[in-house]
Order: sequence, then structure tokens, then C-alpha cells
Amino acid sequence: MTDAAAPNGLARRAYAFLLKPEASVIVVSVALVVYFEMVNRNFLTGANVRTLSQFVAAPVIIACGEIMLLICREIDLSAGQVFALAPFLMENVNDWGVPEPLAIVAALAVCASIGLLIGLITIGLRVPSFITTLGMNFLITGLTLTISRGYPANTSGGPVLTGIMGEWAYSEIIWAVVIVAGMHIVLRHTRWGLHTVAIGGNLIASAEAGIAINRIKIGNFVLTSTLAGLCGLLEAFRVGSIDPLAGGNNMMFLGVASGVIGGTAIAGGAGTIIGGLVGGIMLAILQDGFTLQGINAFAFDIAIGLAILLAMIANTHLARLRGGGPR
Amino acid sequence: MSDARTEAIRAERIVKSFGNVVALNGVSMQVAHGETLGVLGDNGAGKSTLLKILTGYHQPDSGQVYVDGKPVRLGSVDEARAFGIECVYQDLALVNGLSIYHNMFLKRELLWGGPLKLLDHKSMRRRAAEALADIGVSVPSIDLEVGQLSGGQRQAIAVARAVSSNARILLLDEPLAAMGAREARLIIDLIDRLKARGDIAVVMIAHNYAQTLEICDRVILVQHGEITFESRTAETSAEELLDIVRREYRAARAG
Repeated sequence: MTDAAAPNGLARRAYAFLLKPEASVIVVSVALVVYFEMVNRNFLTGANVRTLSQFVAAPVIIACGEIMLLICREIDLSAGQVFALAPFLMENVNDWGVPEPLAIVAALAVCASIGLLIGLITIGLRVPSFITTLGMNFLITGLTLTISRGYPANTSGGPVLTGIMGEWAYSEIIWAVVIVAGMHIVLRHTRWGLHTVAIGGNLIASAEAGIAINRIKIGNFVLTSTLAGLCGLLEAFRVGSIDPLAGGNNMMFLGVASGVIGGTAIAGGAGTIIGGLVGGIMLAILQDGFTLQGINAFAFDIAIGLAILLAMIANTHLARLRGGGPR
Repeated sequence: MSDARTEAIRAERIVKSFGNVVALNGVSMQVAHGETLGVLGDNGAGKSTLLKILTGYHQPDSGQVYVDGKPVRLGSVDEARAFGIECVYQDLALVNGLSIYHNMFLKRELLWGGPLKLLDHKSMRRRAAEALADIGVSVPSIDLEVGQLSGGQRQAIAVARAVSSNARILLLDEPLAAMGAREARLIIDLIDRLKARGDIAVVMIAHNYAQTLEICDRVILVQHGEITFESRTAETSAEELLDIVRREYRAARAG
């Protein structure tokens, strides 16, 4: 735009791109792909790309909700438990003779009301969402175990429905991409998204401007729980069985980590959905690459932990280079 | 000169108590369109309470506020805003992580796409740039995050936002506090330009007597919930104001 940028506009634009949190993650991801492909020629085969896409989908769907919450300075620690509960809700409703598609809607409605409850407790009773959802984390685990009596179950439903809902190899990643696209538009191109950022950036100024802070925060809790429930359903249909211990804290933290690696500020006020997608892809490449490599399970967690730390350190310092960043 | 102008806002015998503390004890003041009123006084003298009554944040126990000569009830910040009353608070007004143009249109976003209600970034960017140019505020780029601007620039953006949302009565809460000379110049020039437009009444709360006398047409001095001095700025001086405050201070120490 400015005259100074004109002579080497391309170089400058490339530099500006590289300073974005998403960019460093993309660069690292590409490097990882190259490395894993060199170590193991099977990495970029069709079968493995399919596996990879399944590793990506679930955390990214969870991340879409968590990113919205993190941006407005909240968090949902119970998303992984809602993930596990949703398929059991669906099966139970289905057992009462309700057709499967309606049972899915009913399960998602219950998940949404869990989000509403979290929101009402957090906003209405002024309990920090960290605590509200920590409580819900245990509460829902117990609920799922009670409903299931601790036993896994099989999913029911016709082939078309099961296919759409996750059984077909690429259906889950398609769901994830559609959700990412939708949520990206919500965050960047609607008042809802803009106000979510504003609330996280400056609560007083947002209130002063007349933004309905409580409505937006509660809405984002509902969104996160609903997405977590949907994600649990997709995974259940993909695997073909329902496990009361599916998802859980691991799934929730993968979602949060995807967002944070992709540049979402844990202190609120900044973040992108695309960053969450990129972060989720990087985590998936790591998980899948190490699995293929046959690295032992203990070393595996060390590698993931280091990757998260390194990505965060890189992001923090790139943000400083960018000039802005957190004060 | 101020007699020829039309009255913008007037407060009559405002009384406001918080428990046993009488914050305002029968304060009356008025400002005309195109006029700038400086409100001076110690911390706790009642300046902020007066401001918050004019913004609709507090409601007076008794007394009446008039806008354009008509009695009004300012039951909330939104109700006051509907009368064209906007307040700019020091450093609280903007969201640092959002761009200048998003801040300028916060809660008044322009939309496109009909029922989809998508943000019209393009129009907001253009209109924000126009609004800033209109009142002579220059920024490197309208896309910059507000957090990357200086304190004076941020304050200017906040004022520009209030003006572009059709504020006719602009309340400024310590617009020059914690600002260097050059930064303060930016805001003083801006207030001068707004004054020159003639349609905006400005009430500014301030601590610095010299700056206030330079900017404002008239000053009032608030002490322990009452207006103890009022003058056209041309007819008073920082020395006279200091004298009054000094006398009060001595009386308080003696008492």
C-alpha cells in the first residue's frame, strides 16, 4: 500500500506472512511431512492420508469451539466428556423408538443445553469457567458411566446415515472442513465474531459500547458443547462403537492445543479458526508420523509435549517481532 | 459570545448522595453548542459523579437535566446516547487487539449480504478513514491495531468515534492525563477543530489548570460537591484558580 513497500512488495508480503502465527506452524508442518516421508515412504500414501485426516478432524472440530471461548477469555474443560456422552444420549433416545436422525438432533440438543448450563453457572453465578467446566468434566463422566453402565455399545442406523455421519473414510474430515469454514466466517465476518474478540480484548470498553457480553459468552459455551457432541457422534459412527471413555481430557486438550499452537491467545482477545486447523494438522502429523515410525509410546508423549512447547515459544517471539502482540 | 449560541445541555440543582456521602449538593451548569466547558476540582470533589449523571450512568436524587432546553430523564447510558451524549473515558474506550476501523464501528458495524448480516469491512474501512480525515486525525493505516498506536492517537480515535456516531454533547474524562506535550497537542488541536464546527458541546474534566484554560471557553471549579467558582477563561487565570484552591486547602488544614 505504502510507497516504501512497492519496490520489494512481494518480499515484504512474504515476510509479513511468515510473522503470522499460522505461518510458522505451516512451515514446521511441511518440514515434518518431508521428514516423515523421508523416514518412511508410506507416509504420503492414500491409506495414511486417510488416517491422517481422521487424526485431524476431531481435535479441529473441538478447537473451533474452544477458540471462540479462549478469545472471549473463557474455556471449556468438559468438551471431551460431552464428546463421550453424546453417542450414548443418541442410542438411548433411539432405543425409545425415536428414529436415528431425530435421536441425533435430540442428543445435540442435550449437549447444547449442557453448554447453556455451563454458561448460566459461569455468567449468572460468577464462577470462573475453568471451575464450572472442571466440575462438569467429572459430573458428565459420571453421567456417561451411569447411562452406559460402563459398557461400550454399538452404533445403530442405516448405511447412508452412518456413512454421512463418519463411517465413510473422508466424511469426518469433510465435516471438519465445513465447520472450520463456517466458524471462520462467523469469527471474521459477523458481529458475533467481532464482539467475541472485543470482549476478550477489553471487557469494559465492550460493555461501554453496549455489546451484550453475557449473551455472547453463553452463546459460545453452547456452541462449544454442541460441536463437542457432534464430534463425539462422528467419531462413534466412524469407529462403529460407543465407548464411555472415548474423547475425554486428551481430546479436549488436543482441541485447546490446536488453537493455541495456531496462535489463539490463552489470555483472550486474539485468535483465528484457520490457526486452529493448522495447529490440529501439525499435531496430527506428529502423532501419525511417530506412530508409523514405531516410536515407543513413552517417547511419543515427550515428542508431542516438546512440539507444543516449541510452537508456543516460536509464536510468542514472532508476535513480539510483529510489533504488536500481548502487552 | 456564549449567549448567542443555543444551549446544548443544562443541569439544574443536581443532588446525589452515596449512603452518607453527599457527592453533589445542588450543582447547576450548562454548555452551549460550539462551547467547551472545563470542569476542574480535586479528586473526590464530585467531578466524576457529575459526569456520570450526564452520561446516564448515575441518576440524581433530585434536580433536572435538560437537553436542548427540554427536561430529560437519563436513565441509562443508552438513553443518554439517544440524546447525542457520548463520553470518552481515558484509556478504557478502545479494544487494543482490533483494528482502528473495527474500533470506530464497534457495536455500530456496517453489514452486507442481507439476512446473512456479514461485516462490510470495505465500507467500514472507507467510512472510518473519511471520519478521521474529517476531523483532521491522521494515522499510518486504518488497518493498524489500536494497541500499536500512541496514547494520544488512541484518544483521538476514541473522540473521532464519538463524533462520527453523531455525538452533539461530548464528555471527555481527563483527555490529557498521562500524556506528553506533543501527544496533548494532538488532542488540544482536535478539540479546537471540533469547537470550530460549532455544533458540538464539549465538557471536559481535567486536572491541569493551564491546559484547561487554553482549551476551554469557560471553567467551573467543583469543591466538596458544589460549584465554588465559575468564569469565562478569558477573565480568569491559573493563579486565580490556584488561589481559591489554596485558600480551601488552608481552611481544611486549619479546620
